Amino acid sequence: MAILAGMPKVRIHYIRGPIWAKTNEQIRKQVIEGKSPVTGKPTMAEIVEMLTKPLTAEEKQMGEIRRDRGPATYTGTAQELQKLYLEKRYTDFMPIILPTEELVDDMLKGTSHAPDEVVGRMNPGSDAGDTWTYTVKDCAVNAVMAGAKPEYFPLILAIASGNQTSINISDNGFAAAAVVNGTIRDEIGLNYDVGAVGPYAHANVAVGRAWNLISINGGNCGKIGTTYMGTVGNAQNALATIIAENEEASPFEPLAVRRSNSPAAKGYGFGNAPGGASPKYKRGDNVVTLLSGWGVLSAANWKVNAWQSLMDYPKIIKGIYEQQNPGLFGTFIILSPPIANFVKDAGFDTVEALNKYILQPDPATQADAPAAKPGARGGMGMMGGGIELIVTGSSNNNYWMAGGLRPGQAIAIDNWR
Amino acid sequence: MKRYLMIAAIGAICVGLFCSLPAFNQAQAQGKKAAPAAEKITVLNPLGTAPPITVKAMAEPLSTLDGKTLYLVNTGFPNTERLLEEYKKWFQANYPKTTIVDQRTGMSNLTPALKKELEEKADAVIFALGH
Repeated sequence: MAILAGMPKVRIHYIRGPIWAKTNEQIRKQVIEGKSPVTGKPTMAEIVEMLTKPLTAEEKQMGEIRRDRGPATYTGTAQELQKLYLEKRYTDFMPIILPTEELVDDMLKGTSHAPDEVVGRMNPGSDAGDTWTYTVKDCAVNAVMAGAKPEYFPLILAIASGNQTSINISDNGFAAAAVVNGTIRDEIGLNYDVGAVGPYAHANVAVGRAWNLISINGGNCGKIGTTYMGTVGNAQNALATIIAENEEASPFEPLAVRRSNSPAAKGYGFGNAPGGASPKYKRGDNVVTLLSGWGVLSAANWKVNAWQSLMDYPKIIKGIYEQQNPGLFGTFIILSPPIANFVKDAGFDTVEALNKYILQPDPATQADAPAAKPGARGGMGMMGGGIELIVTGSSNNNYWMAGGLRPGQAIAIDNWR
Repeated sequence: MKRYLMIAAIGAICVGLFCSLPAFNQAQAQGKKAAPAAEKITVLNPLGTAPPITVKAMAEPLSTLDGKTLYLVNTGFPNTERLLEEYKKWFQANYPKTTIVDQRTGMSNLTPALKKELEEKADAVIFALGH
């Protein structure tokens, strides 16, 4: 943030954190009477020194700083280049497809857009860090490295155009996901049957990996100590989750269609990503909706283990919502088709009807909770006002997931063909 | 506007083994004829472009805190208020001739009103980031 403000040399004192949940006495003993974890100097003496010590010659320097992105190409044997790209942190720690000019040219055939067109601007999240730009060709290089096929490229570009990193800097350890609707699901072979949310089809995996690599290289994200600070991390950062909705088996409208027809459904900008209302989409349109949050599983998910007579799915979903509401990322429900049909058969023909039921205060569980309204948000940007829901996966059993992901932009994929 | 304004950010940033990877046969992965392992190839740099930074002049720090006005600005992160309470107590005990003013701003933005106030009234500012 200081870099963005043109103050890369601003004096920063680091205290021994975290401080939240600490008492005044703990803060006094551990911080005020403690030492800087970086310099080892007494905390308050160092703060006073920062306020009063004359500027150094380096601090007085002004002008423009340009960062060198290095040579346009690297040459070596395949083994040497794999090692080089790993050492330079150009990878996700796994071997890559080496991006030769020939392979990148093949990838560029997947779009009509010019190679030098700027696709997006990305920072590690919430303006923490500076914002990098990347072109169609930059995206093609990373898409090749991810093992993507040219036919995936419009979807990859659509995701990249959202300016949303898949690897957020936050010490919370956020994950990213994208939901794909439309005919492109079959066109490029996205899996929306058995294991739909997992890495069980080349398209889902390669597109998710491409998003990660574009975040790492195009947006300078995911570098521990500078652009990644997740306290315990998030396993879902290994591969951005690409979910194709099983529209054919769903009793509800596809996510992109439903959200674009709902005045309450706003996209939430995250990092450098813009928010705002969704464009209008209809069934069959190729749309990717970007999401960010804790991921597809939440601590409340144990409720899926309710069995037999307790299988009142609308009530279970309502209970999870009430536990998580309001939450930083709301409540994101991923239903398999059988569960979705249970919900429908319970009298909820639409997700909106289910949300209306969910938002009814339950005296037993919401005695002290404020009444939520559709589309409402709580403090600190927290989401309330109902669940978000998609239907995907197979019908081989009654399983489902609940997590915390909030939808952002819904982007038209065909604009990137 | 007072002569000196220095901004010091006080931050609490709660802040594969890859040994001799086998040469990855990418040509094979792409369905093309494999190149010999020792053959040199040229690959493209995957990085995006970082923006240029225009560095602003930093204000000269204060020669003394005595008689000066020090703003403690809470950025709204959890427990920053308590942290600043302790800062305030310490400055009041150790620099009794310094005027301490508490203020509050958003997590990632400085309101125009507060910016104006700081420019006009503050000799120094500590932006505190708890968490």
